[in-house]
Amino acid sequence: MSRLEGVGRIGAIGYTARDLVRRARVRNTPQQKTQLMVLTPDFDTRPVISFQHVFKTYPTGTEALRDINLEVPEGDFLFLVGPSGAGKSTLVRLLIREEKPSKGKIFVDGVELGRMKRRKLPYYRRKVGLVFQDFKLLPNLTVYENVAFALRVLGEPDSRVQASVAEAIDTVSLSGKEHTYPANLSGGEQQRVAIARALVHAPRFIIADEPTGNLDPATAWEIMQLFLRINARGATVVMATHNREIVDLLRRRVIAIDAGQIARDDRSGRYHDDVAKPQVRAQ
Amino acid sequence: MMLRNLKFALNSAWQSFWRNLAVSLAAVLSITLILILAGVNLLVGHAFAQVLDGFRAKVSEISINVADDTPLQSVSDFQLQLSADSRVTSVRFITKEEALAQFKSDPQNVVLAQQIEGNPLDAKLEVRVANLGDVAAIDTIARRWPGVDPTDPTNYQGDFVNRMLELSQWLGLAGVGLLLILMVVSVVIVMNTIRTAVYHRRKEIEVMKLVGATEWFVRGPFVIEGIMTGLIAAAIALALLVVVYPPAVDRFKSDIGFIPLSYDPAFISSLAQDLLLAGALLGALGSYIGVRRYVRI
Repeated sequence: MSRLEGVGRIGAIGYTARDLVRRARVRNTPQQKTQLMVLTPDFDTRPVISFQHVFKTYPTGTEALRDINLEVPEGDFLFLVGPSGAGKSTLVRLLIREEKPSKGKIFVDGVELGRMKRRKLPYYRRKVGLVFQDFKLLPNLTVYENVAFALRVLGEPDSRVQASVAEAIDTVSLSGKEHTYPANLSGGEQQRVAIARALVHAPRFIIADEPTGNLDPATAWEIMQLFLRINARGATVVMATHNREIVDLLRRRVIAIDAGQIARDDRSGRYHDDVAKPQVRAQ
Repeated sequence: MMLRNLKFALNSAWQSFWRNLAVSLAAVLSITLILILAGVNLLVGHAFAQVLDGFRAKVSEISINVADDTPLQSVSDFQLQLSADSRVTSVRFITKEEALAQFKSDPQNVVLAQQIEGNPLDAKLEVRVANLGDVAAIDTIARRWPGVDPTDPTNYQGDFVNRMLELSQWLGLAGVGLLLILMVVSVVIVMNTIRTAVYHRRKEIEVMKLVGATEWFVRGPFVIEGIMTGLIAAAIALALLVVVYPPAVDRFKSDIGFIPLSYDPAFISSLAQDLLLAGALLGALGSYIGVRRYVRI
């Protein structure tokens, strides 16, 4: 693998995965340079996320998911890949219970999401850290306030908010930018704020929907390293992505979804497959 | 934790009120107008109730004229019989002499009194009936009593009483109907105002929901903002009404003297209570409905 196949955007501007790794290392703080610990998930224990014959049909008649069976052990780091419209986002929406399955069961941490009462939902969401492509930061709040928001909503006391927010901001290497507003940050920095907000309440699950979709390749790699570190601390990470280079480089578990079905589930997989390729080219 | 949440809700409600000042003021103005209408409705209703009470007190009293040849024992027995009736609050016997004295004491009768020879007036039993609707029944009993003056048995005017009863019922219904309409209108106005505020803050709400805020945590600030809007509107409406109420009553009295309308300072406190409570409730209800669609997880 002297040079990764140049495809799409990254190929067009001449980056290779090796370049990315090298550049990211140069840009990283000494704290981030430490060797990344790899958590090996135990596939024999009871899974923390489990999809059992899950179907999702929207009221418009669109069949988004068909017979999804999936088990995610604690501490797993998995990529959901597949062309646009394949059902990745629906799967993420089911996981954060924005949608209910039309058929089948989804268990997270032993609780069936479809049968969860609405008033219990906020407490479930507190176990989950969410990261999106469009960051979803509040423009009228500073970096500190945006991260603190996640704790204020939970009614945490000020002393705890201060300590946890400082730690989260430090984790994403944004110390010194606490009082900056999102509009004055780069895309990568904004995504780091979003990640700090997602992990400030120490969630057991991180669910990310295209977290690097709006970022340049080098920044995307930095953001990925953050996710790896969060995973190394024990959080289970589920990430829907189109970022072929990163998926191929990390060789983590890859679940390819095509036309609403699981086409492939590799424990140490690559992005590349017959289904996804044309779509990536089309970008 | 409850206190911290309340502080958060109060802070964001206050901020949101000032941040969307134009919309907030529009809402305050609309609710003020509605509460003024509601207040006028209450004041007019209260004035009519006062007038009606006056009339009611008059018509719920019935005079039974006693024939001149009726023995005193018979009158006394009938008085006892009436007093024992649960519908009757009091019975008073007025002798012929007392009736004449009463007649003469009325300044309107001065000329007539001078021309009277002897005592043409009947002795009377003045019966006060608790419920206006029962006056007719007492009248029937009185007319059956042998001691009654057959030429002019009682002063009961059935038609008038029935009309009064009907009028007061209709006025009450109209008042309630008007209040209901005003209530619905103000709830719709607050609802739309809050919806505008919610629309401006939909991103914030989305983030709140994603990080695990409960529905009431999201809704709280908006409901408090609605209550604030309602209370401010109620205070303005109340101030205007308090200023305008006494001169309006004076003007009414001088124009339409025969309706005994009077200024009632005691009613102001009850009006204040009603308007503030109504303002707060309408604001809260409007916000609750306005924010519902966005808040549902």
